Amino acid sequence: MSELPPTTSVKRWLVTTNHKDIGILYTITALFFLLFGGVLALLIRVQLWDPANQVLSGLAYNEAVTAHGLIMVFWFLSPFAFGFANYFVPLQIGADDLAFPRLNAVSYWLYLFSGVLLGISFFQGGTLSAGWTMYAPLNVPMYTPSIGSTGAILALTMFIIGVTASTVNFLTSIHHSRAEGMGIMDMPMFSWSILATVWMMLFAFAALLGALLILGSDRVLGSVYFSATEGGALLWGHLWWFFGHPEVYIVFFPALGAMLELFQTFSGRRLVGRKWVIISICLIAVQSFLVWMHHMFLTTINLEIKTLMMATTIGISLPFDLIVFSLIYTLIKGRIQFTTPFLFAFGALLLFILGGITGVFLGAIVLDYEFRGTYWVVAHFHYVMFGGATALVGAIYYWFPKVTGKMYDEFLGKLHFAIFFLGFNAVYFSMFLAWETPRRVFEYNPEFQIYHQFGTIGAFVLGFSFFIMFYNLGKSYVSGESAGANPWDYSRTAEWAVSSPPPLENWPDRPSYASGKLEFVKDYVPDGGPAVKTDEDGNVATDGGDTHSSHISRYAHWDKHPSHASIWPFALSLALGVMLFGLSGFANSVTVELGETALQSDVVISNLLYPTAILAGIGGLLYTGVKWGTEDFYAPPTEFAERWPFNGVEKVKLGMWFFLASDVLVFGALLSAAIFIRYNAGWMTWEPLTDPLPGLINTFVLLTSSFTVILALVAARRKSRQGLLASLGSTILLGFVFMAIKMWEWNHEVFDKGVTISANAHGDPIQASIYYVTTGLHGIHVLLGLVVAIFLFVRTYQGHYLDDERPIEYFGLYWHFVDIVWVFVFPLFYLF
Amino acid sequence: MIDPIILQRGSDWRAQAEVFDEIFFVFLALGTLVGTIVVAYTLWNVYKYRDDGGEPREDFDAPTVGELPTGQGGPKAKKLFLSFGLSAIVVISLVVYAYGLLLYVEEGPDANEESDIEILVTGYQFGWEYEYPNGHTTRGELVVPADHRVNLDVTSTDVWHNFGSSELRIKSDAIPGETSEVWFAVSSETVEEQGGEATYRVECFELCGQGHSAMKGQITALPQDEWEEWYESTGGDSENSSNVEGGVSVDDTASVSHAAVGGVPA
Repeated sequence: MSELPPTTSVKRWLVTTNHKDIGILYTITALFFLLFGGVLALLIRVQLWDPANQVLSGLAYNEAVTAHGLIMVFWFLSPFAFGFANYFVPLQIGADDLAFPRLNAVSYWLYLFSGVLLGISFFQGGTLSAGWTMYAPLNVPMYTPSIGSTGAILALTMFIIGVTASTVNFLTSIHHSRAEGMGIMDMPMFSWSILATVWMMLFAFAALLGALLILGSDRVLGSVYFSATEGGALLWGHLWWFFGHPEVYIVFFPALGAMLELFQTFSGRRLVGRKWVIISICLIAVQSFLVWMHHMFLTTINLEIKTLMMATTIGISLPFDLIVFSLIYTLIKGRIQFTTPFLFAFGALLLFILGGITGVFLGAIVLDYEFRGTYWVVAHFHYVMFGGATALVGAIYYWFPKVTGKMYDEFLGKLHFAIFFLGFNAVYFSMFLAWETPRRVFEYNPEFQIYHQFGTIGAFVLGFSFFIMFYNLGKSYVSGESAGANPWDYSRTAEWAVSSPPPLENWPDRPSYASGKLEFVKDYVPDGGPAVKTDEDGNVATDGGDTHSSHISRYAHWDKHPSHASIWPFALSLALGVMLFGLSGFANSVTVELGETALQSDVVISNLLYPTAILAGIGGLLYTGVKWGTEDFYAPPTEFAERWPFNGVEKVKLGMWFFLASDVLVFGALLSAAIFIRYNAGWMTWEPLTDPLPGLINTFVLLTSSFTVILALVAARRKSRQGLLASLGSTILLGFVFMAIKMWEWNHEVFDKGVTISANAHGDPIQASIYYVTTGLHGIHVLLGLVVAIFLFVRTYQGHYLDDERPIEYFGLYWHFVDIVWVFVFPLFYLF
Repeated sequence: MIDPIILQRGSDWRAQAEVFDEIFFVFLALGTLVGTIVVAYTLWNVYKYRDDGGEPREDFDAPTVGELPTGQGGPKAKKLFLSFGLSAIVVISLVVYAYGLLLYVEEGPDANEESDIEILVTGYQFGWEYEYPNGHTTRGELVVPADHRVNLDVTSTDVWHNFGSSELRIKSDAIPGETSEVWFAVSSETVEEQGGEATYRVECFELCGQGHSAMKGQITALPQDEWEEWYESTGGDSENSSNVEGGVSVDDTASVSHAAVGGVPA
């Protein structure tokens, strides 16, 4: 543990794990990507100026369109929102920090380095050119052969790994660290919107991770999923949109949260029908997973499914109606102050109304048939997603005084809004007028030229307006007026109750809402013992119920100071970035020439850079992982907190459960893919590729290892070092036996039967791909488990875990999960 | 060969474009109306309840920092649900109305099936190939007779394309390994109005690679007799069937598309 350097030091920003620092890093990085994606947008608009224009070649235009979409949706919108979420959710719920500060830092660094990888992909023979939806089979190397295409896909994969870490962190924080007295329904609306967002992210991004792992395997290892005519293209459509529709709300909800917050603050009114708004938000989050096929009305799905999807689509628009009316009625009888943040939030509402109405058009299937693939869709989703993000621009102005302690310039802010709003409508409304133009086409019908030219002018105006903001914020940061703790008349949420900027650990004393409003409570802390809750007279309180759960007291070290600095998140992310960079060029620089046996096979390396990067990355990951695991980093559990509905679940265990839930979806995506393709190929036409016997033996081996992991936990609880070593050792041994049998099996398949990841001497190549990729992903999980088990073994040998057996327990959860997955994999690939 | 039987004309037959235009008009009119009312109401209230620096109203209860939210239901909740109910009725009735017409668009008019023309449309990078019932294939241009229902079976040989003609209001995904269906018909009146030959622009509506922008084609509708004459001349002889020789490469699609676009009245 090292001390946190001052903010003026570069080192501070590399090692910080504080949620406010990371929030700032997120916001600044996201604004950089706004510029990046914005420049690409302007390139597109220049090309559209004239239907005969060829500023960019066809391929370069497609690259610009693709990168613009990917950057704006992934590298700008969500991280921009999560900059605010990082900074303000802990403040709004009364926590000291997020639940896992180092994990939070790693999320940020993975985000940054994934963006760097995406940037590099432009110089690897051109980045991906398959559109941000990456429809199959255009997304496989046969049609997009550049190394940069693989680089972009791996960059997105890395981004999602960061997102998953962040999701687990926010879910645990919000469900585990709310201040005493703050029930889940009492949370400020911005925090509520983030809670709903991260719940959607947990499942949606996991499904996309599954899809991208398959795509990465198609591109790097040569599997043939998405080029398979047995439904490969449709498979991508389903996986993509199963993620893609919730994604719309994932980017919109934080903006909605900002709108809900700002409408209240600048009207002096409390939200109308707050309970119903929250219920609506929850309904939308659930329903968002039931509408994805409305993006696929023109594929071969049948009328019954179309009808069902139409109904769910209309169903999901209704809760939005309620939220919009609630926003409008909140303003009535208020004292509305037309500050810059309010103007942006209000503008966002108007834009969203237009986006919502044009969305109803798309819900009618007959209209959707015609709008599919046209600028109507482009206009609609810009009104919804960028229209929503308009509220987040308002949020910059709203929270700027809190973060910097300085007030922005109100006149320049209003000027920014006016130009922004004009430019926005010029560029996106003109798209409605030119709606018959196909998307991603630059040789369009000259009839529409006037609208596209109008749009191009609007785009430049819109882009220019942001420079007013950058100037305003830069100038104000240097020489703005001091803002004070609470510059707004009618703010309610807790971030305004502390100084601007807030102190490192947020609160003067422990925040509590037990009395119905925010108070800071001084806890009496006896030497080395747990904090004791006292009431105002200093008497020890006896109530508190489950907030006194013993699991907190057992593991808290009251004499220890919380840590705020670690270099390992940065280093670990860098190592992963290096490894993925290496993987992007793997297929182009390494060829395996199969011989009669494994020993006679030859590996030809044509370019040393990429394989070296892979090895360096793996080495770096192992090194930084061990350093991470052995670092003395203390993130204290919150003693008094509201934890509904996870009372009594310890923090790290809760995080582990969230992580495993997302991993279920990753495997769910792969198993669904296997079933979908096999169904399309004709279920009964496939026989298992492998003999059942090795699989059966492996099933027993894994189930036995689950048992030894339980023994390990028992031994740790009994403080038996030898018992722990023996049971962990057996687990490791069984894991290696599993991997050895697996290797034998693969060796047998490849060299005796001629079944490789891209070729199958006995049937469909896709069947072989599915077998290798699905069992391979499971094998990687076993391998990662083994790495952790060996780490635990060595640490046990050094004398750890006998006082605190939790790491053994959490490893056990993971190991059981991997075993359960096998129980699903085994029948699908060995029996039927 | 094909009977000169004509689609049932009149009340029970409508072109897709007509159906689309009707629904689009209804949605546009109601959407504009609802949007205008909501936005006007909102703007008016925002103006009315602006903070003009005067004394707050008596019932104004300013929030304070650190309060827990109250008013989970609130006196305005009733109004909220009234508006919500109204909007739900508008949206649901719109969609039920549109759904009735969807069934028509899916099924198409009842026609003498023998008179229907079945065409296999295959997308490729970067163009369209049409295969007629007699085995004749063309690229770039699809020639159909007036007053017949034309059924298209759309697929692709390489990547995911989307076959569409905005003027005819038809569209269908072209997915490798899958076949999707769409139908259309052009009336002889329309053909006559356009001077004996009606032409429609065909475009690709799904990003399919570097030639996507130039992936254009054309549908030409001829009077029944003229079409038959042309059709017989093809004789199902697939050896000299292709209008455009060879060429799947980007280079010659440019010329195909250029010729095709030229035929479309802009």
